[in-house]
Amino acid sequence: MDIKIFEGFGHVFFEVSMTLLPLILFFACFQIFMLKLPFKKVWDIAIGVIFTFLGLSFFLQGVHVGFLPVGTEIGEIVGDWTHQWLLIPIGFLLGFVATFAEPAVRVLNDEVDKVTSGYIPKKIMLYTLSIGVAISIALAMTRIIYGISLWYFIGPGYFIALTMMLFSNETFTSIAFDAGGVATGPMTVTFILAIALGFSRTLDGRNPLIDGFGMIALVALAPILSVLTLGLLFKYNEAKADG
Amino acid sequence: MQTIQETIWEVVYAILPITVLVLVLQFTLIWLPFASLLQFLVGVVFVSIGLVLFLLGVHIGLLPVGEMIGAALPKTGKLWMILLFSFILGFSVTVAEPDVHVLSGYVDRVSEGAIGKWSLIFPVALGLGIFVSLSMARIIFKISIKWILFFSYCIVFGIALSPWVSDEFIPISFDAGGVTTGPMAVPFILAFGVGIASVIRSDEKSADGFGLVALASIGPIIAVLILGIIFGQ
Repeated sequence: MDIKIFEGFGHVFFEVSMTLLPLILFFACFQIFMLKLPFKKVWDIAIGVIFTFLGLSFFLQGVHVGFLPVGTEIGEIVGDWTHQWLLIPIGFLLGFVATFAEPAVRVLNDEVDKVTSGYIPKKIMLYTLSIGVAISIALAMTRIIYGISLWYFIGPGYFIALTMMLFSNETFTSIAFDAGGVATGPMTVTFILAIALGFSRTLDGRNPLIDGFGMIALVALAPILSVLTLGLLFKYNEAKADG
Repeated sequence: MQTIQETIWEVVYAILPITVLVLVLQFTLIWLPFASLLQFLVGVVFVSIGLVLFLLGVHIGLLPVGEMIGAALPKTGKLWMILLFSFILGFSVTVAEPDVHVLSGYVDRVSEGAIGKWSLIFPVALGLGIFVSLSMARIIFKISIKWILFFSYCIVFGIALSPWVSDEFIPISFDAGGVTTGPMAVPFILAFGVGIASVIRSDEKSADGFGLVALASIGPIIAVLILGIIFGQ
């Protein structure tokens, strides 16, 4: 048995160094010309940078030897099934589980709870978001199976979002569109996307470039729509209480 | 300051549930070969260790600096300096964003090198940099976020629906908008923005720190669409 663990790690190291270079140069300039921090502070920052460097390297190596090949393989296995539609409920489950536990989502829920003084409880937000993302991933898989253009999803999706936005207040608009990013956690981008790519490769007449990608776009839409909807409900109820 | 223990839990929560689900599916439906299963677990371990170290590093080293630079810039009193450095910062942060690397790596692989990894990372970083600058301008001039969002998305759809963008770039561009808001850019841009907002409007609440991330994900979409026009020629 041939298990790859450190294959290509040198290359990853090199790439991560290039990646952090602009940020380090930027800090250096600022330190010299403006901040002039004491040595102790600079030392702390240097340690932080080393941690970031190692962390990024391990993360990318894990994706490179683990999530990408295995995710693709799972996608290909499902592609050979007679019941390919099973990937739709599997996608739903993966999306739900990935969001339900995601720390960034919890931060968002606390924030909404606070802004609405508890009117939109954390639990409701959590379920709304998790189901929203689950549906997004299920839709992304459906798209691949039937070869539906991404337009039919993001066109109406953003149209509804922008229309709702016009009726929402500034705070909810900001939170909603900020939230677009929180649901795209580390597992969605690396592992679930790899499954979609592997799957779209095995189907006839599908271009993985067109059909496989687009999943993150759909996942990013889910929180925007959820938060705006809850925000409008909140506003409506508040108005009713005042009147 | 986030403790080591909190960071470890954060990563465990993000990764463990889905790993368990994959294991359940493995022994009911998928039946991967044993070697692949091990390979998956190697991935889980590496990604977890990586995320813990990464988040710690960002919190110890990078975030405080983001905030300090954010607070130091407005004191110069020069608008062009704030905008220029916001751009450079947005650019550098995106180049170091893990999710951006993963997505562009996948695009590179799936397109068999036709759309190279770095030829995607650079436009995405440029787009994000420009929009971080715009967000700062928005905070300084107190422009409503709604109008900026509305017009930006009109531009996005205007370009996306135009006949010059090749179809392959549409899904990638919207995906790129999602991945830029990853574990590096979000805390960094927020820290930077809060730093700037705290100096500019010490009298008001820092509610304007919100909306920074929203605008940040539009820039990359537009940038990749433009890349699509260039590739389409």
